Amino acid sequence: MKDLVEKYNQGIASEQEVRELERLIASGQLSISELAGESELLEKLAGLQSSEPSPQMDANFYAMLAKEKSRQSAPGLSFDLGKLWQQFPAFKWAYTLIILAVGFGIGLLLRGNDNSDVNELAGEVAEMKEMMMLTLLEKESTSDRLKAVNLTTDMPSVSTTVTSALIKTLNNDENVNVRLATLEALYPYAENPEVRSALISSIRNQESPLVQMAMAEMMVALQEKKSVEELEFLLRKESTPEEVKLKLEESIQILI
Amino acid sequence: MESLSDNAIMEKVKSGQIDLLGLLYERYKKMLFGFYFHMNRDAALSEDLVQNTFVRVLKYREGFKGDGEFRTWLFRIARNVSHDHFRGDKWKNPEKLDDWNDKLGDPGQNPEEATAGQDELDMLQLALSRLDEDKREILILSKFRDMPYRQIGDILSCSEGTVKSKVFRALRALKQEFELVQSKM
Repeated sequence: MKDLVEKYNQGIASEQEVRELERLIASGQLSISELAGESELLEKLAGLQSSEPSPQMDANFYAMLAKEKSRQSAPGLSFDLGKLWQQFPAFKWAYTLIILAVGFGIGLLLRGNDNSDVNELAGEVAEMKEMMMLTLLEKESTSDRLKAVNLTTDMPSVSTTVTSALIKTLNNDENVNVRLATLEALYPYAENPEVRSALISSIRNQESPLVQMAMAEMMVALQEKKSVEELEFLLRKESTPEEVKLKLEESIQILI
Repeated sequence: MESLSDNAIMEKVKSGQIDLLGLLYERYKKMLFGFYFHMNRDAALSEDLVQNTFVRVLKYREGFKGDGEFRTWLFRIARNVSHDHFRGDKWKNPEKLDDWNDKLGDPGQNPEEATAGQDELDMLQLALSRLDEDKREILILSKFRDMPYRQIGDILSCSEGTVKSKVFRALRALKQEFELVQSKM
């Protein structure tokens, strides 16, 4: 076999000898790495680089995943529940209790399971959701951006990258619904001083009456006295509609 | 560090936690992109094919039985995606050497420069792209350092011995094409 390899490496092996080499390779008696030319080519092949995929590939994938996820969840369920709750308030309490019981059960299960794999997986999922959210937030489609904002409601906690992206959306997104959803999504993080300060600064940038009123309501809910100056700025603005001004006056009265 | 095996994650995707497909996507997106890119040299098309692969993974998730490795199943799907896309003779049109002349550096200009190594890789890529699809495919798969011949055999539905034999033949063909390309440039 050594002579055969030698002849092959020198380029003087006959067709029959090449077939014999192939048989030896297939049977595992000879490794391709023992053939000088082929081994060198394999090394070079390993050095071939492909270009890097663009961020658009990630965006497309996560948009597809978010679409599939929303398709998977029961359509219209939240609206039906909303109607049901209005008619039968007791259902709302029953529903809340069930959710609490399920959450408690899962908590017990997770506490009992001292498996670091689960924790690592949870970390990976959280990172992935954040990435999905940030990618979708950059999309042109309004529904994609709404999906992105709504994704944060599933997250137990978010990084400053996410809150910064939400604040940027609140200040710059062209769509009122996206800005309203973003405001709602930021509410749970308003205890964070940076988020709270950004919310207050954002008040004077808002042109939409709906967002202006929602922000006034939120400031009242947060009992944020520092926002009075910004609310007064909107109140003085000529372009602010009368009904918004009423709401602003009312909010300022509560806050001062 | 990968916290859970691919198979365990895919089982969770099957059971409805489709968010977790993102983990598998992150683990395999570059590998799949590299596979397609070396097959067709078109980055935009390769990205589309990666996307199509994961669309099928999601669509046919019930078909994942978990008795083999996820990666084998993924690459079987990837091969089907590319075969479906290139149904017909698009794979069979070899790259023309003339089209590549302007893509490679001028051999008469400063041959000692560092670009020489890159030119050699470009020529190797050209030689690879001129191979038949099956030969190109098996070489690209064997280029992945952590993919053993046994697994390539599972993907191609043949034995490990047949894979070794096919790799040997493909390398011989590549050597010929590489020499031809070098002589023309």
